[in-house]
Amino acid sequence: MEKIYILCIEDQSEVLHSVLEHLSFFEGHITIEECESTAEAKQLINEIDGEGDYVGVIVSDHAMPVQTGVEFLIELNNDFRFVDTKKILLTGQATHMDTIQAINQAAIDKYIEKPWKKEHLVELVSTMLTEFIIKKGIPYEPFLQVLDKPRLFELLK
Amino acid sequence: MINKKTIIWIISLALPIIVLLLPTSSFPIEGMTVVEQRVIALFVLAALFWILEPIPIYATSILIIVLELIMISDKGLNFLIADKDVEGFGTLLSYKSIFGTFSSPIILLFMGGFFLAMASTKYRLDQNLARVLLKPFGTKPSMIIMGLMAITAVFSMFMSNTATTAMMLSIIAPVLVYFDQDDPGRISLALCIPVAANIGGMGTPIGTPPNAIALKYLTGTDAISFGEWMAFGVPFVLVLLTIGWVLLNTLFPARKKEIKLEIKGEFLKTRKAIIVYITFAGTILMWLFDFVHGMNSYIVAMIPVAVFLMFNIITKEDLKKISWDVLWLVSGGIALGLALGKSGLAENAVNSIPFSEFPALLIIGFAALLATTMANFMSNTATANLLLPIIAAVGTTVISIEPLGGSKMLVLGTTLAASLGMALPISTPPNALAHATGAIKTGQMAKVGLIMGAIGLAAVFGLLYILNMVNFF
Repeated sequence: MEKIYILCIEDQSEVLHSVLEHLSFFEGHITIEECESTAEAKQLINEIDGEGDYVGVIVSDHAMPVQTGVEFLIELNNDFRFVDTKKILLTGQATHMDTIQAINQAAIDKYIEKPWKKEHLVELVSTMLTEFIIKKGIPYEPFLQVLDKPRLFELLK
Repeated sequence: MINKKTIIWIISLALPIIVLLLPTSSFPIEGMTVVEQRVIALFVLAALFWILEPIPIYATSILIIVLELIMISDKGLNFLIADKDVEGFGTLLSYKSIFGTFSSPIILLFMGGFFLAMASTKYRLDQNLARVLLKPFGTKPSMIIMGLMAITAVFSMFMSNTATTAMMLSIIAPVLVYFDQDDPGRISLALCIPVAANIGGMGTPIGTPPNAIALKYLTGTDAISFGEWMAFGVPFVLVLLTIGWVLLNTLFPARKKEIKLEIKGEFLKTRKAIIVYITFAGTILMWLFDFVHGMNSYIVAMIPVAVFLMFNIITKEDLKKISWDVLWLVSGGIALGLALGKSGLAENAVNSIPFSEFPALLIIGFAALLATTMANFMSNTATANLLLPIIAAVGTTVISIEPLGGSKMLVLGTTLAASLGMALPISTPPNALAHATGAIKTGQMAKVGLIMGAIGLAAVFGLLYILNMVNFF
């Protein structure tokens, strides 16, 4: 069966570590991958797509050297392979301009401000995952445990 | 390392192949033909695939149809049917009749039901009806549960049980969150919906796929009209709903004093919405009053299809959302029944078992119990697909059943029993969805499901008894 991935992109390793720890809720159902730069992320999503697997959700930081999160997400939004991938921006440093770009050009699905609460992050990722699975027509039954049930019922009715 | 999946595959494939390779004489059926042997192999394959599910159940249905076309149709694979004129080979099925199962009137009746459900969801008729109908039930938890059960049951008579459950669960989901974790009311609130959806499906011929499959075997003098089905189905549903309601409120009484369900929206008053309301009501009335206009339920079912497409109420995009899986699952069942019937196997097999020596009541009891047991562990539809062709043959050949209602009684009893399998999260899709809310433990669901199954079986026997008394059979 095809695997679904959640990708976390964050240049500060201690922050990345805590995101991963919070998302461990999804382990066993979803594969969680970590990247320290957008370059690394690009390579990874190419591989995932090449295997026929899904990049379901990307949680990306904004302020990173070389390429910012918003720039990366815009690129992603213009790539037909990842248009449906749910994009979450997790940042404390995006300017007003960055935010407008993120919404209009990267079509981000959620915006989470640092510092964040674990429950909030897990809840949003779960909702995004549910929408992704239904949108892609992936059988939802194996993932029931980690999906957002109220959202799922809405989408199924 | 051999894992579970590999074992399932080996069993599901090996047994049918063994059946296929055995000499014809090794079967305890006298004068068995080659075609009949192939049908047995197909039946074994269908049973294993539907029970163990190495592939999705609708895929199994299509596999059966394709294998029938290749192995036992008059246009099948040439070397497999080369001996068709040799004595003892048996009669091949016409390939057209196998293909015909895709467009059987039963399939189209169900499709008509899908159109009604799709249009009413699209124009929010279901949501708005739920809102209006729930209001009189107030805010007392036990009354709310009664309201939810009644509405769920009524909707599941015309919509798929799964879609109804998803809709009703989305209504209660916001309330479930505010319940104390240890308030038993959470359980009864979440559990009342799948229970009512499973029960409600029994109320009409289109309520749930097993009913549709039953129609295939209820033909000629055994035919049951839409109105007749509802005449006994609705009271039967009502009795079971009441029992279910009492059971849930006794086992899991809510401690919370008040539940406020909020459903937003208002009835749409656009031209299209009004066409949907009129067509919906008109179709149901036509189904009920077939004795006035003479059109049977299959023909009536096509009217909403035409109307909704004409007025662009169901669009090209909506058409893509038709649940082909459900329709094809039923087609496969009809094809399997066709092969069992047309090859003569069903009758020959039944004749070779001395059923006549068994008391009629034992046969009925066993058939119903078997159906409910199987349906607890596998799809209700697949259960009906497997059991009904054989049950129908038993009903027509065993004379001792005749005074009790014959094939009609036996088919009806088994069909209703197949809808009573609701003990586990895997028993039915509504159960799986309700279990996913996290409010119900498997043990709690099993307790209610088993009690409802047992009471339901008793109620089925009661219903059959009454129907026999009034000379329905």
